[in-house]
Amino acid sequence: MKLGKTIMAAALAASALAIGAGADFAQAKGAKIFVIGGKADDPFWSKVKKGADEAGLVAKANGGSVTWLGPANYDNLGPDAAKLIRTALSQHPDAIVGPDWVPAAEDDAFKAVVAAHVPLIVYNAGGMDAAKRLGAMNYVGSDEYVAGVGGGEYLGAHGVKHAICVNTLPGTSNIEARCKGIADGLAKSGGKTTELPLPSSNFGNPTAVAQAVKAALIKDKSVDALVAIGAGDADALATAIPQAGLADKVKLASFDMDEAGLARIKAGKQFFAIDQQPYLQGFLAVSLLNGYVDYGVDLPTRPVLTGPGIVDASNVDATLAGAKAGAR
Amino acid sequence: MTSDASRAATTAAPNPAQDAAPPAPRARRSLGGLLRRPETGSLIGLAAVFAFFSFFGGADFLSAGGFASWLNVASELGIIALPVGLLMIAGQLDLSIGTILPASSMTVAIVSGRFGAPIVVGILASLALGLAVGYLNGALVVRTKVPSFVVTLATLFAVAGFTLGLSVILTGSTSVALTAPEPAKGLIGDYVGGKFQTSIFWWIGAVVVVEFVLHRSRYGNWILALGGDPVSARNAGIPVDRLTIALFMASGLCAAFVGMEQAILFNSAQVSAGQSFIFNSIIAVVVGGVLLTGGYGTVAGIVFGTMTFAIVNQGIFYTGFDANWASAIIGALLLAAVLMNNTFRNMAMSVAARPKA
Repeated sequence: MKLGKTIMAAALAASALAIGAGADFAQAKGAKIFVIGGKADDPFWSKVKKGADEAGLVAKANGGSVTWLGPANYDNLGPDAAKLIRTALSQHPDAIVGPDWVPAAEDDAFKAVVAAHVPLIVYNAGGMDAAKRLGAMNYVGSDEYVAGVGGGEYLGAHGVKHAICVNTLPGTSNIEARCKGIADGLAKSGGKTTELPLPSSNFGNPTAVAQAVKAALIKDKSVDALVAIGAGDADALATAIPQAGLADKVKLASFDMDEAGLARIKAGKQFFAIDQQPYLQGFLAVSLLNGYVDYGVDLPTRPVLTGPGIVDASNVDATLAGAKAGAR
Repeated sequence: MTSDASRAATTAAPNPAQDAAPPAPRARRSLGGLLRRPETGSLIGLAAVFAFFSFFGGADFLSAGGFASWLNVASELGIIALPVGLLMIAGQLDLSIGTILPASSMTVAIVSGRFGAPIVVGILASLALGLAVGYLNGALVVRTKVPSFVVTLATLFAVAGFTLGLSVILTGSTSVALTAPEPAKGLIGDYVGGKFQTSIFWWIGAVVVVEFVLHRSRYGNWILALGGDPVSARNAGIPVDRLTIALFMASGLCAAFVGMEQAILFNSAQVSAGQSFIFNSIIAVVVGGVLLTGGYGTVAGIVFGTMTFAIVNQGIFYTGFDANWASAIIGALLLAAVLMNNTFRNMAMSVAARPKA
């Protein structure tokens, strides 16, 4: 029985090595941490994983290990994630990190982790509510509304009085939270935010989005900032501003960022981007658990928010370097 | 073939393949003649929505920027609506344009943006992709006899899957930046006078070409005959299969062109763009008076329909209306435009049918 378990652990560790998780089955006393996340080749999750792996170097130096468990695809995400949580639990872990993507499917598995007295951190999805409900130690991740407030405050601090939040996905709750956050954040400095919902007949057509926003800018001359709900929309909004002849007056901000957005920030054509900093989600969650298991240290800050990170002209070079390294 | 030919003769089907290019419907000087032209109805629909937004949109809508707003949108939609219109006249649908567009955007951005190949290579690769998917659509429709709605629905999803899968493998990302050098940028994806997209000129070129094909060459008659009665068309000696494949390749090419143009214009490509073009191109064509059942339609009508849709879709943002209601207003105005078009056409037809006194 014992031999069987050892073989199984070795096989699992080998497969973990095969997906590049840097597992260490020669563990002695260090923390054996399992991280449940997305596919490792997903552009977002590859950054989370890089953070987890780099925090794992400390765990490894102390004789522990960090194992990444991700689904093969996203077709059946909730049940697959629940299975991964139970897979992790079956290997006598010292701690587990996981996202609460689909509470209905995953919560039972998370409760089993807590019932087995394995320290748990919920990260990326679910928020502090999920962490409290499940009895987890903490939540590490971002919050759409808080990210919006951060962006709105930043706009207000730089003299913006009237922003338009261009919502190309009206009715989507996390997007509504982003726009509401912008409005509440900007209101702190007395600024006003108008939400511009675009009809679905414009969806996925940057020309139609750009022309609609241009019209809104021409219509209301008091607007001095545009907020894009995603990196793709920011490309369209960036062309709308000069077409309206307002390149000197209207500032552009976006949630999330991509290559084109970073290039614009560097060229001075975009003011800033709001980043949820996925690297920190993996890095902090693993570091917190490692410190807790090895030394009993516990961070009283709850939740631990990894965003909003503001990327503007002052830090765009470092961000570009980070993007090149696969961390941004 | 001989029996087919004799049957064609006995059914006394018109023999369009043999006809020389017919005299184009010439604008007659009389008011009645002008009113009886098939696209007059859609022109009146266009005039009505233009008047509506001139009233509610005010001076901004009538400024150069206001014209650019709907012309820019109309030009891209129009480049796709023309071949989609030809396909509908020939009795076919093409849904796959919705993913050929982003696939083409990503192709030019990956080839020339990420891997640094000369922009002309990226442009040709993206257009070749459109032609290839169009050929596949056409060949599948011709060989399998499965309705084109189903065939192109299948390629719609297949192309979307390949675009996402290959983009992630090749770039690790779902959006890729592209900085096109001159003269490609200035010729294909830029703003003239800071407002008017170069795509407007490409649209005008496409209108001239398709106008010639549909109304001044024998291929136009072939297309109309194919949509009217495919069996008779085949019996009359029209190369139905090759014609069908060519039409699908044209719509693939045009969708790929717009995708490539948008990538150059916006300096970036996204895997998820383009879906709205599927429905919008069909709307533009139908508003332009093309019958959903095929066999009837004009290029001028498709152009007016495209403009009508673009004005309704963009004009709304020049009015003071609450943007939450935009979709409802767009729907109501489009219905009004089509009703006006149909009512007018029926009136014109009945006037035409009345014996001359």
